Amino acid sequence: MIRRVGGLITLAFALHAQPYTLGQGLYINPMLNVGGYFSSEFQSKKSEETLTFDDVAVMAYGDINPMISYLAEFEAVGFYRKNLSTGEESGNQKFHSERFYADLWLADTYNFRFGKMITPIGYWNTEPINVLRDTSSNPLYSMLLFPKFLTGIDMNGYFPGCNNTKYHLFAQNNHDLDEEYTNIPNTHFYGFSAEKEVSSDLSSGGSFGEYLTLTNQRTRFVQANAKYDDIRWQVLAEMMFAKNEFANNDQATTFSGYVQGMYRYSQEHALVGRYEYYNDQHTNYVDNIAVVGYSYRPLNPISLKGEYQWHSLKDENTLLFSLSVLF
Amino acid sequence: MKVLALIFGLSIIVSGANYSVIVSKKLSLSTVSAQEIRDIYLQKRHTIGNQQIIPINLVGQDEVRSEFEAVVLGMDRNRLNMYWVKQHFQGNTPPITQSSFESIKVFVQNVEGSMGYIPSKMVDSSVKVIYEF
Repeated sequence: MIRRVGGLITLAFALHAQPYTLGQGLYINPMLNVGGYFSSEFQSKKSEETLTFDDVAVMAYGDINPMISYLAEFEAVGFYRKNLSTGEESGNQKFHSERFYADLWLADTYNFRFGKMITPIGYWNTEPINVLRDTSSNPLYSMLLFPKFLTGIDMNGYFPGCNNTKYHLFAQNNHDLDEEYTNIPNTHFYGFSAEKEVSSDLSSGGSFGEYLTLTNQRTRFVQANAKYDDIRWQVLAEMMFAKNEFANNDQATTFSGYVQGMYRYSQEHALVGRYEYYNDQHTNYVDNIAVVGYSYRPLNPISLKGEYQWHSLKDENTLLFSLSVLF
Repeated sequence: MKVLALIFGLSIIVSGANYSVIVSKKLSLSTVSAQEIRDIYLQKRHTIGNQQIIPINLVGQDEVRSEFEAVVLGMDRNRLNMYWVKQHFQGNTPPITQSSFESIKVFVQNVEGSMGYIPSKMVDSSVKVIYEF
């Protein structure tokens, strides 16, 4: 896999004719743009300190014709990890299929996406990689409540006659394309999401859906999100309520949400704060997490971040630093 | 026809607009909103009405391009760059570029559905103005 990916990159560099802009991919021709990203992270907890090259990914996309386009992305997660407390080294260089889909464009009001894609819910999940985020960590909301990926079909577009409101109607009725590489392996996943762009700075939306995991846990969820983003301030808020039915007929609810604020005091520097709440009735896991962080972007596609997390569960307090680049 | 061109020229002078967003005169579009142009240039939409639109940008860091981005798109260069970084991850690329206003005008004249912006003084009967800034 690595050899094939390396071959693709070599071919891309040999063929390219357009000037390259860091963070916007290498344009070869309308049918082929290539790019990728990586992130590394230092984490210090009470129990251990670790250094990881967490994500290494390559991607290619393009337009086959004016109506059909594609995107393919392969990623190795946990590429290299060193436990600085024990000296133990580990890593997994296997590349997984993160996204692999084709888009059929018919009109601004309806398009179809087929294949493995990011689940079109909210803001965090649709921009999930380190370099696009403003904190090194993810809120639990984005990792534990719904499948991050969907292998199926997504009908999407703007509501006809409804200014600037976009929708997604998505369905999966099969196993994930790469089950090893998804947070909640499932066999059925249906949902609907919508987002209204109130102005160029303000948007809000929501979603609902249902999924059935490989362990026969059926979960139904409702979700809401809002974002304000101007030249100085950004405020993000998302929350989800999920009702779970387990194979043994037990029922439980999960609620989680976060509010994150960011103040950019220059183009490169920003202060970030986040509060999140997580309550899983089934596992009796309740946590309040506060995050204070600093973000430095010498260039838009290069991100250096530091943060400290306070957990209401005392032993989970964490110091995090990360470096990530999109190319 | 000459009278119409004169009236159009005078209207530009009176309104004080320096630049015009143009399309092929074959298109049935008459006027569009800044929001529609913004959505087209940010590749959020690909049509206005039933017409598929190909946005054309001026290459590089030209002052006029910055003015277009600030006034019509409502974004400064840094914010727009971050937008395209995020769009790269989504598999989208910025609009194609041309090296000069002359080449934008020729492109719009020859490619039906293309949209570009040029100084208003370059406007003639070979293209149609749908927005001014």
